[in-house]
Amino acid sequence: MSKAATFLNSQVGRKIATGVTGLGLVLFIIVHLIGNLTYFAGADAINTYSYTLHQLGPLLWVVRLGLLAFFVYHAWLGISIWLGRRRARPEGYVVQATRGEPSRQNWSSRSMILTGILLLLFIITHLNTFAFHDFQTAVVGGVEMHDVHQRLTEVFQSPLYTVYYVAIMILLGMHLRHGVWSSFQSLGWMSRKTNPVIYSIAFVLAVIIAAGFIGLPLSIYFGLF
Amino acid sequence: MSDQTMTIHLKIWRQNDPNTPGKLVDYTVDDVNPDMSFLEMLDWLNERLMNEGEVPIEFDHDCREGICGSCNLVLNGMAHGPQKGTAVCQLHMRKYKDGDTIVVEPWRAKAFPMIKDLVVDRNALDRIMAAGGYISVNTGAPADANALPINKYDADLAFDYAACIGCGACVAACPNSSASLFTGAKIAQLAHLPQGHPERKSRVVSMVDKMAEEGFGDCSNYAECEAVCPAEISITAIAEMRREYFKALPVIE
Repeated sequence: MSKAATFLNSQVGRKIATGVTGLGLVLFIIVHLIGNLTYFAGADAINTYSYTLHQLGPLLWVVRLGLLAFFVYHAWLGISIWLGRRRARPEGYVVQATRGEPSRQNWSSRSMILTGILLLLFIITHLNTFAFHDFQTAVVGGVEMHDVHQRLTEVFQSPLYTVYYVAIMILLGMHLRHGVWSSFQSLGWMSRKTNPVIYSIAFVLAVIIAAGFIGLPLSIYFGLF
Repeated sequence: MSDQTMTIHLKIWRQNDPNTPGKLVDYTVDDVNPDMSFLEMLDWLNERLMNEGEVPIEFDHDCREGICGSCNLVLNGMAHGPQKGTAVCQLHMRKYKDGDTIVVEPWRAKAFPMIKDLVVDRNALDRIMAAGGYISVNTGAPADANALPINKYDADLAFDYAACIGCGACVAACPNSSASLFTGAKIAQLAHLPQGHPERKSRVVSMVDKMAEEGFGDCSNYAECEAVCPAEISITAIAEMRREYFKALPVIE
């Protein structure tokens, strides 16, 4: 085996890879969130943002393919680690409980596999709703562009879709609550002093990201904006 | 000694041998002295079982003062029981209430094969040690004390990691049955000492490989290991193991 393959197949390498891809995806999510929030600056702002992004051309495709690779690899690692649990403990406990602090076993860390798979399924429907959809055309400053503002406003009129979207964003927050902290631990960026600090920062970041993504559909649905 | 005795209901895992399925068996001990340790309470129950002509419950124990790492009981789903920073031999019955029910199970992991009742084979941990958890030195007269200066920070950290007694509670408590805390503690201990440096890179690679080969699972950073560790070893040891592995990249094949 090559050096890279040996590294990536080791238990440490798998965690480092999960952490690196995870942090990469968090970075993407933050950029995506900032993009979404341009909705509040008016129709022209978000349409121009989307238009500018599409003008990147080949670079955009590099980013898209990179993201796809990160998503697939991150999901594959997570699923394979989860599948390894039964192999490592064929006969389980009758009673199992957590000892509590400093354990990080909680609703967030225990449900990583579930929230992860639901997020993966969501992304497929999400691309179908927005990226692969035929947009109406808007003209901003004499330039024709996709009317993203109109599409967002239209989609979040539906109570069913709004509830679904909000629910998934709560799951995203849960996934990030353990995921962000965990990636720092996986990359070895942790000492006794930084451990509790990063654990708290991960919580705040998860709440901010989830709240940011939930704010947009709710504002549209309730006609606040 | 307290005059008050307690009644404790136990559900203990009984299994004759690895090939016979085991099950939880109910026992009630109604003359438990609160000052007994958990293991003394089991001795007490075993005395009674033997007098009644029954086969006593097998469990591992040795020093009974929390330093040898022999005892290995999961009580109500927690490795070494509910008390933080202690092995189960140092858990006293006064921590329980009269009439409590306690489920007693062995360590569970593929890498820890069942022997009998509450006794499992933990040699896999020794084999991880043999893969690199040592330093190669010429034996002979001891070196001069203080001939090798080590700063206080590293000495203290190395000492904290060296506190591991190899009981395997980290594996037992981990939802994935990972041995990362055990392995990480030894790697981190030697990484902080000059004596550990010549074999630093090959050590982390061999020990991490051995851990997977023995059938221990992947770490998911649940940190349950730190919560149950009788030596209170921090999961920082696992972070250090990852840093060490990264530094060892040049020697990986």
